[in-house]
Amino acid sequence: MRITKDIFILITIILSIILISIVAWVSKIQLYNPTRPLSSFIVLLFLLIAGYLSIHRVKMGGTFSVRDIAAFNAIEEGIARSVEMGRPIHMTIGYGSISSSMAPQYIAGLGILSHVARMAGKYGAKLITTLGVPEVIASVEELVREGYASAGKPELFDPVYNVRYLTDQQFAYASAVQATIVRENVGANIVVGPFYAESLIFMEAGNMVGAFQVAGTARETQIPFFVLVADYSFIGEEIFAAGAMASGDKESLAAIRGQDAGKLLSIALILLGILMLITGYSLTDLLNWVWKFG
Amino acid sequence: MSLIVKRVIPQLIVSIILIVMIVFYFFYVNKSVAGVFSAWDKALSDWAIIIMAFALMVGGADIFRYHLIQIRKAGMKQAPFSIVTILLELVMIAFALIGFYISYINPESGISITTQPQFAWLYTNVYAPSDTAVYSILLFYIASASYRAFTAKNPTAALLLAVAVIVMLGNTSLGGLIWPGMLSLRDWIMTVPNTAAFRPITMGAGFGAITLGLRLLIWREVSWLGRRE
Repeated sequence: MRITKDIFILITIILSIILISIVAWVSKIQLYNPTRPLSSFIVLLFLLIAGYLSIHRVKMGGTFSVRDIAAFNAIEEGIARSVEMGRPIHMTIGYGSISSSMAPQYIAGLGILSHVARMAGKYGAKLITTLGVPEVIASVEELVREGYASAGKPELFDPVYNVRYLTDQQFAYASAVQATIVRENVGANIVVGPFYAESLIFMEAGNMVGAFQVAGTARETQIPFFVLVADYSFIGEEIFAAGAMASGDKESLAAIRGQDAGKLLSIALILLGILMLITGYSLTDLLNWVWKFG
Repeated sequence: MSLIVKRVIPQLIVSIILIVMIVFYFFYVNKSVAGVFSAWDKALSDWAIIIMAFALMVGGADIFRYHLIQIRKAGMKQAPFSIVTILLELVMIAFALIGFYISYINPESGISITTQPQFAWLYTNVYAPSDTAVYSILLFYIASASYRAFTAKNPTAALLLAVAVIVMLGNTSLGGLIWPGMLSLRDWIMTVPNTAAFRPITMGAGFGAITLGLRLLIWREVSWLGRRE
């Protein structure tokens, strides 16, 4: 019953958008921002709808396979290895302003941190989380506390040891993380989130102490450093998929199908663009069309 | 009550902000509505700055707490570093407060927190050189990481090595002396294969962020809030 209601709401929203757009067009109202191409709004809606329908399919009992992400599976290996060696685990979730376009990467980093905290609780590992953004101190403390509590070991949680806010200054943060990795002699170094020039400093510090390293970011300029130096790396969008995997929720995981729909759409548009160029037209002009009156 | 405070309210705020930001970005209607959108958009940015300012205070207190405990527990190995950190934090706060007081009682003086002479001196002559020094360490790390990575242990690694050599030589005048076409080859590598490899990663990351937005919007992404109840 609820599923029918969900689909009904979705169809109502889509129809309302189309109807309002038609009415605005007929009435010559400047409904959409004239500085933004309307195609970007349509693509956004397409991705949201594709993701939502995938979730709906899983709700209806549908299943689909999701390929393994080696870096995600390696996290447990790294934690178990650290426990065997009697060394702590280090994790950091990125640097920069959380209110910027990097926010999704922080959310993905927090999702992976919650998985790491649960694993640390499961194996009784010592987890050190270093932070360069003060806004997430409370969330991270909560995640680590609940990670240990979910494994039935709340006594292992020590906010002062487990969660360390360092600074919001880039290279002071880099320096402090580096010092933490070396002084604490960490067995696993997990670095997931938005990173800038400090990424390689963290990786090389982990390499110095022989730590098992798992790293990931969606910042394309830093991905090569992680791929070169880390034992396992999340490449680009994988950090967002890993967040859904960490939740263990099939419906969250189903939303990844929306990403696949986006990729298929991109491939189709690239092919269409090539065909149009051959025939003397430009797809870019078509996609850059803006809603404009007068 | 706890569930409402810990789960429902944060998720509701996130959903509302997501919808509102989409509306502000894509819709216009007329000049006055667009003006309202713009004003609210700015208000949201201001709230983010205010939240960050308070979060920094929490962060400062967190650093203070951590190092006080370190002095007590970690012994002489750690204590000197913690003492220096606490002293410098207190000194910077003191000079910042002096700057704030001066700017409050005498706004015409032109002195504010960041321009207070001792505060500015410490920032320029102690913090900035240290910051630059740490940045410069990156050079050695790039060298050591490259040394380990650029070994022709298999065909893919050999290709990486060859491309790296071309790009590195292309960035120096030596490359042009060895072969005049080195610079054009470097430019081609950077603008064609390199860009072709980066674009899908960038697009994938964008799709990933949108999907994450969907999960946040419909309350399926809860890992950032801690364990599921």
